Amino acid sequence: MLLQQIVNGLTIGTMYSLCAVGYSMVFGILEFVNFAHGSIYTVGAFITLTLVSSGRIGFGVSFLLSMIATGLLGVAIDRFAYYPIRSKRAPKMNLLIGSIGMSIFLQNLAMLIWGSQTRNYPEVLRLGSTRLLGVTISHYQVVIFLLTAFLIVALQTFIKKTKTGKAMRATAQNVDATKLMGVNVNLIVQIVFFIGSALACVAGTLVGMYYQAADPWMGFMPGLKAFTAAVLGGIGVFEGAMVGGLIIGIVETLAAAYIHAGYRDGIAFAVLIIVLLVRPTGLWGKALSRKV
Amino acid sequence: MTKRLMITLVSTLVLLCLCGMCTIGAGEIRIAVCAPITGNYSQYGLSFKNGTQLMAKLVNEAGGINGARIKMEIYDDKNEQKEGVNIAQRLVSDRGVAAVIGHFASGVCLATAPVFQRAGLVLISPTSSHPDFTKQGTYMFRNNVKEDVEGPCSAEFMIKQLKKKNIAIIYVNNDWGVTARDYFMEGVKKFGGKIVASEMFIDGQTKDFSPILTKINAAKAEIIYLAAMYTDSGMIAQQLNRLGYKIDLFGNSSIYNDMLIQLAGKAVEGTYLVASYFDEDPTPVVRNFIANYKKEYGVVPDQYAALAYDTAGLVVEALKICGPDRAKLRDALAGIKDYPGVTGNTTFDENRDAQKGVIILQIQNGKFVFHSRV
Repeated sequence: MLLQQIVNGLTIGTMYSLCAVGYSMVFGILEFVNFAHGSIYTVGAFITLTLVSSGRIGFGVSFLLSMIATGLLGVAIDRFAYYPIRSKRAPKMNLLIGSIGMSIFLQNLAMLIWGSQTRNYPEVLRLGSTRLLGVTISHYQVVIFLLTAFLIVALQTFIKKTKTGKAMRATAQNVDATKLMGVNVNLIVQIVFFIGSALACVAGTLVGMYYQAADPWMGFMPGLKAFTAAVLGGIGVFEGAMVGGLIIGIVETLAAAYIHAGYRDGIAFAVLIIVLLVRPTGLWGKALSRKV
Repeated sequence: MTKRLMITLVSTLVLLCLCGMCTIGAGEIRIAVCAPITGNYSQYGLSFKNGTQLMAKLVNEAGGINGARIKMEIYDDKNEQKEGVNIAQRLVSDRGVAAVIGHFASGVCLATAPVFQRAGLVLISPTSSHPDFTKQGTYMFRNNVKEDVEGPCSAEFMIKQLKKKNIAIIYVNNDWGVTARDYFMEGVKKFGGKIVASEMFIDGQTKDFSPILTKINAAKAEIIYLAAMYTDSGMIAQQLNRLGYKIDLFGNSSIYNDMLIQLAGKAVEGTYLVASYFDEDPTPVVRNFIANYKKEYGVVPDQYAALAYDTAGLVVEALKICGPDRAKLRDALAGIKDYPGVTGNTTFDENRDAQKGVIILQIQNGKFVFHSRV
């Protein structure tokens, strides 16, 4: 049972990781927490759902289109909601409040467009499951792991090896100095929003398919958990977000199984508090306290 | 300045009150329907709205109540206590409202009950199943079978008919879920079954049931009793299926909705459930109701629409006896015996709780089919 629970926990943990990376990237550059991230995840899941159930295009194409659409939505949110606040050099707190407003707006927009009912997610991939050492692993879980691993490695390579990635890292270190070097910082911010939102769309779609259900509130809790994961791992740090997501996923699953199902969320957040008490910068956080 | 402001305010208020009185037409009886029209529970609110308005339409087409037309006014309580209380306060001061049909959730009913009771305005809920609701006062009515009937009936069926001994429960952690669990557990004890696991989840937050299902499987449960809404139950069934555990499911009447089968498909095949209304019931009242509902809204009514329709019917029945007087309406409603509704013949007992039988259904080949009557 313990092994099975760990597999269960890893599956939701990977979803949190995908979301947490988005949070972390935006924070790394803009130093603000984009609370609309959870709602972007919901909208992404619904866009995929709509494209797939339209029946005209295959799942792969739908998924890709949805990622692009959600990415562009992220860019639009930045352009029309955050950029005006940023360009006026308003305090970071205003951005934070703005993102909460954006989150509520997106949630209600999703409800208006797609209705408040829980929608059935079509079973696009019919996969079986394997029993191994008394543990049932569905092949879909394997797909989730592999896809997430691929995306993370690809993103990591992009950030470490390309010129744009270098510009992103530079922007994260010092916005003004990067500007002086002739980098279009706003474009970099938009790229970050695009990537973060597209990853949220992947997470939303995978979760929708995993539970075969989508509703306008589906992003709320995962949004909070992913934020927790990002902070736990050290916000702004790529590897930290990854590992933080997995830790939160496993901890809450074990808490639900061995302690009490009602405390699962509470325990996940308690872990965050304890880690922050011991290491205020998170597990992977740099000692640089400016960002925290 | 303040004086002038006061005068303006007072005169506006007086004018508003007068306007309010003008709108009460001579030949119109207003009944308020409080339901979650927006938010997470809006699908149930829609059934309330459709059911009650269908009844009003039919009554009005047949000439109304002694010539007076009925109007169902819909108020959105969002399934929230504070919204419900706000609406309740508005309704009690509106003397044109004859009775209130409403609140989907027991939690909201319990919050608004004191307001309606103090004002002496009937509140009749088509769905509240919390035993404490009608204990709040003499103006509180309930038109569905309570958990104290449903729970033990379900337990008896599982143990005696299905011969299951090791039983697990999954319940939603709210007022209703805990009550449903308690009555069911009482029933299990009475009929000699054994509860091997009792697991809860949080409404609207828990989407991942795999930890509790893995735990239930490890406890060697043969059947799971679901005290949850159909959306959550659908997810539970799918995750159970994906984990590959062979455990039967038995649902509370709350899972009786076609959406369950749409959401969970094969995973809910063979699931048993309790119901007080079945849309393939051959009884003429039920057939008529379904035909009318389909003509009006294009869909087959669910049990919530049926209960709301019957609740409106009960209020109409009482209005026929006494007219739109709040106190007399209460007495007339309490005295109703064997009202032939689509959810069975309804009589109010001394606690103003409706008494009617339950049926057991099973999902076979993607459809609800009649199994037996308990």
